[in-house]
Amino acid sequence: MSEVSTAAAAGATGLSAPSLRWATTMRSLRTPWPWLTLALLALLVVFLLLPLVQVLIGSFSGISRDGRSGWAIVAAEPRYLHAVLNTIMLGVVVTLFALVIGVPLAWFTARFDFPGKGIVAVLPLVTIVVPEVIAAQTWLMMVGNNGLVTRALAESGIELPSFYGWTGLITVMTFTYYTYVYIGTLAAIRGFDVQLEEAAQSLGTSPAASRFKVMLPVVLPAVLASALLVFTLVVGNFAVAMVLSNRVPLLSVLTYQATVSEVGSDPALQSTLATLSVAIVMLALFAQRRIVARGRREVVQGRGAVAQRLAGWRGALLGTAAGAVVAVSLLPVASIVVGAFTQARGPVMRWGQWTTAHLERVFTRAIDPLLNTLTYAAIATAIGITLATVISVLVVKKRNAATPLLDYLTALPLALSGTVIGIGLLMTFNTGWLSLTGTGAIIVLAYVVRRLPFGTRNASSTLYNIPDSIEEASISLGVPPLRTFLRVVLPLMAPAIAAAAVLTWTTTVAELSASIIVYSGGRETMPIQIFRLIDSGLMAQASAYGLLLIAVIVLPIVLATRFARIDLFASRA
Amino acid sequence: MSHIGHPVNRRTAIASIAGLGATLALPSRAQSGSVVIYTSNNQQAFEAVVETASKRLPGVKLWAITGGSGQLLRRLEAEASKPQGDIFWSSSANTLGAFKPLFEPYRSPEIGAIPAALHHPQNLWSASNVHVAVAMVNTRQLGGGAAPKTWADLLDPRFKGKMIIADPANSSTALTILWGVEKMLGADGLKRLANNVKVTSAAATVLRSVGQGEFAVGLTFESNAYAYVAGGQKEISLVYPSDGTFTTPEFFALLKGAPAGELAKKAFDHLLSKEAQTELLLAAFRRPARSDIDVSKHVQLPPMSSIKVFPIDEEEAAAKRGEFIKRWQALVAASGN
Repeated sequence: MSEVSTAAAAGATGLSAPSLRWATTMRSLRTPWPWLTLALLALLVVFLLLPLVQVLIGSFSGISRDGRSGWAIVAAEPRYLHAVLNTIMLGVVVTLFALVIGVPLAWFTARFDFPGKGIVAVLPLVTIVVPEVIAAQTWLMMVGNNGLVTRALAESGIELPSFYGWTGLITVMTFTYYTYVYIGTLAAIRGFDVQLEEAAQSLGTSPAASRFKVMLPVVLPAVLASALLVFTLVVGNFAVAMVLSNRVPLLSVLTYQATVSEVGSDPALQSTLATLSVAIVMLALFAQRRIVARGRREVVQGRGAVAQRLAGWRGALLGTAAGAVVAVSLLPVASIVVGAFTQARGPVMRWGQWTTAHLERVFTRAIDPLLNTLTYAAIATAIGITLATVISVLVVKKRNAATPLLDYLTALPLALSGTVIGIGLLMTFNTGWLSLTGTGAIIVLAYVVRRLPFGTRNASSTLYNIPDSIEEASISLGVPPLRTFLRVVLPLMAPAIAAAAVLTWTTTVAELSASIIVYSGGRETMPIQIFRLIDSGLMAQASAYGLLLIAVIVLPIVLATRFARIDLFASRA
Repeated sequence: MSHIGHPVNRRTAIASIAGLGATLALPSRAQSGSVVIYTSNNQQAFEAVVETASKRLPGVKLWAITGGSGQLLRRLEAEASKPQGDIFWSSSANTLGAFKPLFEPYRSPEIGAIPAALHHPQNLWSASNVHVAVAMVNTRQLGGGAAPKTWADLLDPRFKGKMIIADPANSSTALTILWGVEKMLGADGLKRLANNVKVTSAAATVLRSVGQGEFAVGLTFESNAYAYVAGGQKEISLVYPSDGTFTTPEFFALLKGAPAGELAKKAFDHLLSKEAQTELLLAAFRRPARSDIDVSKHVQLPPMSSIKVFPIDEEEAAAKRGEFIKRWQALVAASGN
């Protein structure tokens, strides 16, 4: 029953305001929604907040093997301070580079038509298709000191600069993450109402100035939000850092090493380092909020700009530039395909000699990582999407006093690296009332927690556009609220839920940094196996698994976009 | 307002419980005939064992938990009250000596083929193979300079920043080499080495980074480095220092309270078998511990008789491990590398 009819009923019986509110609350308690909110809050507190609190407490209470607390070790050894500074530096630099590439690319794609624009459309896919675990290594296969490109250039007398350390870290992470800026900015520019720009121009401002003055405040929050996301991902990045940071100590790698060294013992150093990484992200979040809060504008109903056609040399230039960005982004995929079919003897690749032996091997003798991945990811996606759907309904449509907390907790994993989540789960569910260490359940749990924000954000995307009046109309026609929800609201949400399911699936099967901390013998997933093979120098076999992983990722995307016509990135205006 | 129950709630709950239940219900390894091996060995070596086991022990599945030997032993120590692993493979006596309570004495029927020196007198551990320390050199990255010939050569400042070794706290490979260098060249030699090398937390990084040319010299064991030579990467060569190098048996042990029970012993026997050790030699270039396998018949590794060995006392190394690692870490911290 709606607020209006409640008020009317109250007016008819002459109830006072406080008792009216009381009546409303009592009435809402008879619907399932507040109870559902509480149940979900309880789940999130146990499986997300508690692990995080354990990490924070552990950083103070934990005593390492040599009798020092985590903070004492961090204070005593300068490499930890260096790692913190390096991590912040890397985060800032990569974020800036990602903005430099992502924002103009989004702008040109939204406002201009140029030759070859179609290929830019595949960009969002690249981000989720290339597993991070393999990105750094494929770059090294090409431009490392022994890389294909490096050697070819060396023969013609050109020396490439060393790719190890800062150069490689910045390059690989920029090209791994700039698409987040691109996607976020593109959606904001397309949602921007071009009439505002026209109005400013008609009032006498020059086109360039008006564009800047009017558009910037509207697009800026989206740009900053994606910048924060990139920063967070860089701080938490483990897979790329592990391969390239021999000369540049980074927090994520030291945290992982501390975790491996402290398994089973008092988690002093790992929890301290994890706390530091949470603190860095919180600081960035705070800075971003400060900037965004200064000016907040909303466009109610946008009329998107019509793309301007660019032909001639300007079109060619733009097309070439965009094409180059896409080509570089696709380099890892190309390397994986080539690597998977290239003969290898031990760690040495025989370029130009082809074989299908690596793929055959995966299917005939080493299928377990694939089966594990499919099993855990399928279960995690099912649970995650159910939770995401319920949470988005509660947050968008069934608000109550506890809703902001639910909203906040759901978004929290975005600020936590996989390593931190893994450490928290391991610390919380190692022994005690719910002992999950050594089971598949803890891997599933890590997946669900880590990807919940993605799923929820996508599931709720269309919910804002479903007017409450539809639901109310159904209820006033005598259909009970829950049946109304199932028959009316849920079908309208279906496309968004499907998109959320596909995105949750694709990001889950490629998850490494949390699962590598919580997995146990016989439960290795494909990314873990790839990580091990890369560590053993067996790039060809790693590529074969990489190719398979890409197939597992791409297949549902193709099915969803081709046959179910689902807008995966909610970026079409 | 009527109530038709809480279908969404119930569905959520059912889905979650079913999901967790299904995962928990995946067969535990005791039922499925699995043996979990905690191993510091690379994938090549582990797969050599798995390959041969699939023929010799049908129905038994071998799983690996990988990591540095020091890391794994500390983990096993922490898990001792509720053991998760069945076999630990492998480390040198210098490291194993500090973890004796973890191991279950077991006298394998295969023991007759193993020389007495490669077997613990009270059956706490046995060797699968013997490692030889080498300098793995990437000649393209030497910048035109001559390749080192001796351990003493590596103290030359021209190798500063070009050389890499693992952290001896995590890797018994690094411990064997550094301990040997100090015995051979004295405390000053160790200090000068610390000034030259970059220390990485994982032993596997040494091989990868020299193979890919990030570093010119990697201090490691012959077996893993030889894979690059055998694979045909021309600029990689192995230097067996002419002032004498260090050898160490690669030991493995049965873990106390191994969940796989009798199967764990079968896997232990398998690691000692002629098939497994021959395959380890062929696929992973590990010189077998068994005396009945002729190395030169299978691979082109230099014969042991051509390699000068500098003897080290592993008992002493084991006893002083903790103190040595502390000293080394102080040297590294002082070097600023």
